[in-house]
Amino acid sequence: MSRHAAPRRASVQPPSALPADLPAAPTAAGPTPADTSAAPAAAARGITGDGGSVAATGRRRLRRALPGLLLAFVIAAVVVLGLLTRTDADTTPLSPGNATPTGSRAVAEVLGDQGVEVVHARTLAEAEAARARLPGATLFFSDPNGWLNEEQLSSLNRSFPSRVLAAPSEPQLLVLAPEILPAGPAEDGRGAVRAGCNEEEARTAGEITGGGQLYSAPVECFSSPAADGGTGASYAAVEGTVVLGNPEILMNGTIEEAGNASLALSTLGAGESLIWYQPSTADLAGATGPPANPLELLPDWVNSLMLWLLGCALLAMLWRGRRLGPLAVEPLPVVVSAAETAEGRARLYQGSRAVRHAAENLRAATLSRAAVRLRLPPSSARAAVVQAVAHKTGRRREDVHSLLDGPPPSTEKDLARWAQQLLDLEKEINNS
Amino acid sequence: MAVSGRLVLLALLGALPIVLFPGALPALIWAGLLAAGVAVDLLLAASPRRVGVRRALPATVRLGEGCVGALLLSNDTGRTLRAAVRDPWQPSAGAANPEQRLRVAAGRVHRMEVSLLPARRGILTTGSVTLRSYGPLGLAARQLTLPVPAELRVLPPFLSKRHLPSKLRRLRELDGRAAVQIRGAGTEFDSLRDYVRGDDVRSIDWRASARRRDTVVRTWRPERDRRVVIVLDTSRTSAARIADEPRLDTGIEAALLLAVLAQHGGDKVDFLAFDRRLRARVDSGAKANLLNALVRAMAPLEPELIEADFSRIPAQIRSVSPHRSLVVLLTSLDSGAVEEGLLPVLPGLTAQHLVVIASVRDPRLGELRAVRGTAADAYRAAAAERALLDREAVTARLKQLGAEVVDEHPLELPPRLADTYIRLKAAGRL
Repeated sequence: MSRHAAPRRASVQPPSALPADLPAAPTAAGPTPADTSAAPAAAARGITGDGGSVAATGRRRLRRALPGLLLAFVIAAVVVLGLLTRTDADTTPLSPGNATPTGSRAVAEVLGDQGVEVVHARTLAEAEAARARLPGATLFFSDPNGWLNEEQLSSLNRSFPSRVLAAPSEPQLLVLAPEILPAGPAEDGRGAVRAGCNEEEARTAGEITGGGQLYSAPVECFSSPAADGGTGASYAAVEGTVVLGNPEILMNGTIEEAGNASLALSTLGAGESLIWYQPSTADLAGATGPPANPLELLPDWVNSLMLWLLGCALLAMLWRGRRLGPLAVEPLPVVVSAAETAEGRARLYQGSRAVRHAAENLRAATLSRAAVRLRLPPSSARAAVVQAVAHKTGRRREDVHSLLDGPPPSTEKDLARWAQQLLDLEKEINNS
Repeated sequence: MAVSGRLVLLALLGALPIVLFPGALPALIWAGLLAAGVAVDLLLAASPRRVGVRRALPATVRLGEGCVGALLLSNDTGRTLRAAVRDPWQPSAGAANPEQRLRVAAGRVHRMEVSLLPARRGILTTGSVTLRSYGPLGLAARQLTLPVPAELRVLPPFLSKRHLPSKLRRLRELDGRAAVQIRGAGTEFDSLRDYVRGDDVRSIDWRASARRRDTVVRTWRPERDRRVVIVLDTSRTSAARIADEPRLDTGIEAALLLAVLAQHGGDKVDFLAFDRRLRARVDSGAKANLLNALVRAMAPLEPELIEADFSRIPAQIRSVSPHRSLVVLLTSLDSGAVEEGLLPVLPGLTAQHLVVIASVRDPRLGELRAVRGTAADAYRAAAAERALLDREAVTARLKQLGAEVVDEHPLELPPRLADTYIRLKAAGRL
């Protein structure tokens, strides 16, 4: 039997001999040393190629990628078309080039038709250049963001004797028309406001849309209650300056309401030309040119580097993403523990608190094993087993009887103790 | 096609000229260089379509032992093949190095060895071989997957063969060599020979002695050429794991030991694996290499998740052996499954054959039974006791119906089943 003692080799060798030999593994065919051999290639030709070609593979890949490519093409086309047809639409409120409801193109066009030259200025420099060109021009000034500082406002004050201000703020009024004081926003609830004054433009208009800011001034028209309880006017005028508290009367969307159009045209079309000045960020104090783009502070190779690294990332994806052949498939076996049914039954006992039932099981098992141990027939009565156990262990018969034939425990706590006592009794039987 | 990490590294290096000389030109030049390198590699790489692939694989290996699955790669191209090759064995084949980088000169053959250490009995497969042939610069490669399917039959380990020597010795003791020349049950007439001193006078054949001048004694030998039919249950109950081994595998171990032993005892062994239909069958005709045939037939057996149909077993056994045989049923003694399936069929079987029912007992139940510290433990002990009591009840009923029952822990089952066989043989009940 020395063959059995042969050490098991864990490598190429077929299983070493058994009395009735296990099948010997046929050794690898062919004279093939472990390294590159000089044998002619034809000797070991097995499967060569997959019957395809580079062109066939290319065609197959193309066919498979076609839907994706088409989708990408459509998306690219849509994006390019969108970029090409995008218009640089003016969306600034009150802008004379803005045709949306919040723009003022309607007023500007009508003024132009009536022979008033409307010049749209976005910076102070532009406005002053236009002023130099058109000496008698009226200034329309709307700066809700307050881009201009006091100095710039003063220069404006000096350059333009005649001006229309749209909802000016308190600092702007202090410089441009100190006689006019703001009186807070108008009370909520829109509605037409009557002129109620002797100014010609206001009387012609009759009534205008209410709302916006209110002012108090020597000449007040279209007075209405303010939100804070006082009253104020939507139209205030002093020498050379007209304040329109509600810019909405100039907007495309509301210009046709009440006498808005009349008031707008008469105030703005007073002169031969109109400089429509809406300050922009370029007017901010200290700004000498267009604002600095933070990206432009970076060295100029950053953009190309980013693009290059993006390309590198794509290459890395190709490198790591290409798998060396298909995935291997493993059929997994079923894993069921045999004791699971017993565990499940234990949970059922516990869930339904079947103390009595569990106790009966434990006792029946102890009785059957004791009967075997004490050489009693399996069918013997409990009393006989109790008698024999008491005799064998030397315990009192009453004790053994209460354990093996008495009332079973009723609470879980008792069950654990009682079960342990049963186990102890069993050990005693086995050992004595 | 595939690109290599080297290409990515070179592309990253390209960031340097882009930073040093801003502008599009260095980027374009560098990209052009990379593209040229890739093109050169793709053009000059050895074509994977002209590489011959052949497998050299042992047909079988025993579980627990390693083997080498070799690939013979013959480079029929005129160029050196620099390739990454992958042989995608399923994970339980335990391939240590399924991916290898290798270099084969033009016209040469390379033997790529993949060490396998299977972790599971059964038929292990691999479907294809993937070649990734790099160009001389190592920047890009051509990749091709060749269908070269192969399978490796992993045989049951037959660990219980360590019991074989002692059991064989006991079997030989029954044999004539151990001087059991007593007529009786379990022996049959062997031959007549001359009386020598020391022979039992009761064995003298007086009639033969009268015909001749000398005293002649009869010799006896144990019965031979009995039939042993081993039926392995592969139904759902065989999937349950006991001591981290499926019942099926324990059954295979026991069946192997018994078959080898019975063959040495001069009996004819037939093997059936059955649940609702026949899964494997080995006839007694394959006498010379019975073990070989058995392990080959057993290797692909898997537990089927269906209920066994015991009503067809008598017909199966009849088709194997029309005479009285020792029928060994390797199944489970779970109450329910047995009462529904086996019990109704058993009387018919025991009437004609000697039936041994062998089953694996779960040692876990014994452990659960003995722990009773808390209420939860006590419930668990009660459930374990119930399972054991049910098992005993089933065993008792099976014994009433005339079957022998071997109910043992996984490691004990094969030797106990062998003992039962020897005992039955000694008692002449075969």
